[in-house]
Amino acid sequence: MFKNEEMEINLGPQHPSTHGVLRVKLRLDGETITHCKPIIGYLHRGVEKICENQTFFQGQVWTDRMDYCSAVANNLGWAEANEKLFGITVPRRAQYIRTMLNEFNRLASHLIWLATHALDIGAMTVFLYAFREREDILDLNEAFCGSRLTTTAFRIGGLREDLPPGFEKMARKFLAKFETCLEEYENLLSENRIWKKRTIGVAKLSAEDAIALGVTGPVLRAAGVPYDIRKAFPYAAYAEMDFEVPTQTAADTYARYLVRMAEMRQSARIVQQCLDGMPEGPVMAKIPKILKPEVNEVYHATEAPKGEIGYYLVGEKGSTNPYRFHVRAPGFINLQCLPKMAEGALIADIVAAIGTLDIVLGEIDR
Amino acid sequence: MTDPIVPQPEAAPEAPKGPYVYDYAASPQRQVVMPKTVPLPSRRTYLAEVKAAAEADEAKWQKMLADFETAKTKAEAEGKDAPKPPVRPVPRKDDNDMKTPWPEEAKDADLLLLQACLGAKVEEVFEQAGELTCQVSKDTILEVLLLCRDHADLRYEMLADQTATHYPAATGWDYSVVYHLTSISRRKRLRLRILVPEGFIPDSACAAYPSANWMEREIYDMLGITFANHPDMTRILCPDDWEGHALRKDYPVVGWGQRDIAFREDRGGMIERIALQKAGQLGINLKQPKAE
Repeated sequence: MFKNEEMEINLGPQHPSTHGVLRVKLRLDGETITHCKPIIGYLHRGVEKICENQTFFQGQVWTDRMDYCSAVANNLGWAEANEKLFGITVPRRAQYIRTMLNEFNRLASHLIWLATHALDIGAMTVFLYAFREREDILDLNEAFCGSRLTTTAFRIGGLREDLPPGFEKMARKFLAKFETCLEEYENLLSENRIWKKRTIGVAKLSAEDAIALGVTGPVLRAAGVPYDIRKAFPYAAYAEMDFEVPTQTAADTYARYLVRMAEMRQSARIVQQCLDGMPEGPVMAKIPKILKPEVNEVYHATEAPKGEIGYYLVGEKGSTNPYRFHVRAPGFINLQCLPKMAEGALIADIVAAIGTLDIVLGEIDR
Repeated sequence: MTDPIVPQPEAAPEAPKGPYVYDYAASPQRQVVMPKTVPLPSRRTYLAEVKAAAEADEAKWQKMLADFETAKTKAEAEGKDAPKPPVRPVPRKDDNDMKTPWPEEAKDADLLLLQACLGAKVEEVFEQAGELTCQVSKDTILEVLLLCRDHADLRYEMLADQTATHYPAATGWDYSVVYHLTSISRRKRLRLRILVPEGFIPDSACAAYPSANWMEREIYDMLGITFANHPDMTRILCPDDWEGHALRKDYPVVGWGQRDIAFREDRGGMIERIALQKAGQLGINLKQPKAE
């Protein structure tokens, strides 16, 4: 009557909960996942090869299009890696503006994570609230660089333009109301019984496993490891900022939710400090119009909203193009731990596991 | 054994086996320009270059002095005014905010410790742009990774990144594989590097760091380096039947579907007609003006 055999199903590649085109091959024993294999590459565009055939300046537009939810963070890592390669010192005002925009971007990225993660699990309302605030941040992006998502915000050596008039007022207005908005989300979720049932104890990943699998970002911090590159290897103006690295020890989906919510508060704090302590001065270093490096290789890692984004560049003497351009995408490395999280869990929890990793396939496949 | 003098009958053309062969004759627009230099950062090469440049500079100066002496004696013999003595050229100083990071001598305790522990297995250590680089021999990479992970004074817990670069102009080796290690507890980073020739199979880092799994699959996919004892050595980003490895320097940038429409060969005028039709829909006048 009943067959006692395992069933194999595909989640995706066109599934709304996979945030792009991720295919997960699952083998099920009843409702329990016995085997899980993520299959990626559907969005592979060869960004690294393209950037190797363009000049150092032109690579930036491709970094926007990797993780389109946190383009500014990608731009920042790219700009700083290039500055390390050439040995450029960036003016202090530019550092502050970069830090501020990066934190606004972290807010936007975490908001879109919150919205879609809650939507995946079944809480529809948060989506609308979170997108309302994200819209304001995109407006700030637009005011600064004319573009909302693919920002191309920075230049090697600083910024193209100073802040536009009225930006500070817009930013302060946003910050004034943001705390109440965060409370709104928390009212909807933190003590919500369904949300807690769907997230507590789901998709656990211990600190040892996370470190062994190279997982970074909020997923690692929710396992109790206070590793934040902004603190560990300060870059931009983070050395001068006063902020905390929120951690949790439960290492489950709910803990990651709490970590990201606390991180949003810290980001708002950093933005406030940047606005208050904004130094005067130029925003662009004095650099030649055409950059040609000496033989050098750099690996520069920054803390993107999703984890450590690293750029590995090799410079060839006298060439205007990078000899090698490699991106260590946080989502690519973080997604490796999906089998660890999902195997042995119920099939309904795989959606929570994918959501809690906060992946964007544009960056994983590059 | 075939006799090399007797001409062999030509074999029927077969599909290329093994490494993908790019047929540039059939598609000249796919021709690539191969790099001529080997931009591998190294203190040894840097010092050799600096020495060579200083010697060349000195030789140039000596030649200028000798030229001046001959010109002076010639002028004296002819009774003319003595020529101006030469001025040694000073290197031009750029007025900008750039300070090129050069490879410096290794002073960091970690690099010295690695050198002491591994002895001759370490090929080179140096610091550049604040980053520590340790190049080890290609057979010992797994041993070095385990040492970095487990040594009480090193404690590099995480393999942050692993990637490779193709250097076709190098002699004796073809690829550099770099490992970026992070020590979370000590807040330090270290780069390990091995140089491998084509066909060499280095040990997989998965035994020391499970995070190397996908990174090594990506290296295999993009550069064609396989790793020994890897749990799943398959392509990850490209489809399984993809030909060639995209990040090799001899891989063409132009794709098959990309070509210029040769209107001259468009005898029937079909492509032109379609183009004109489409342009007409957009309100663009593409017709060539005729001479009156």
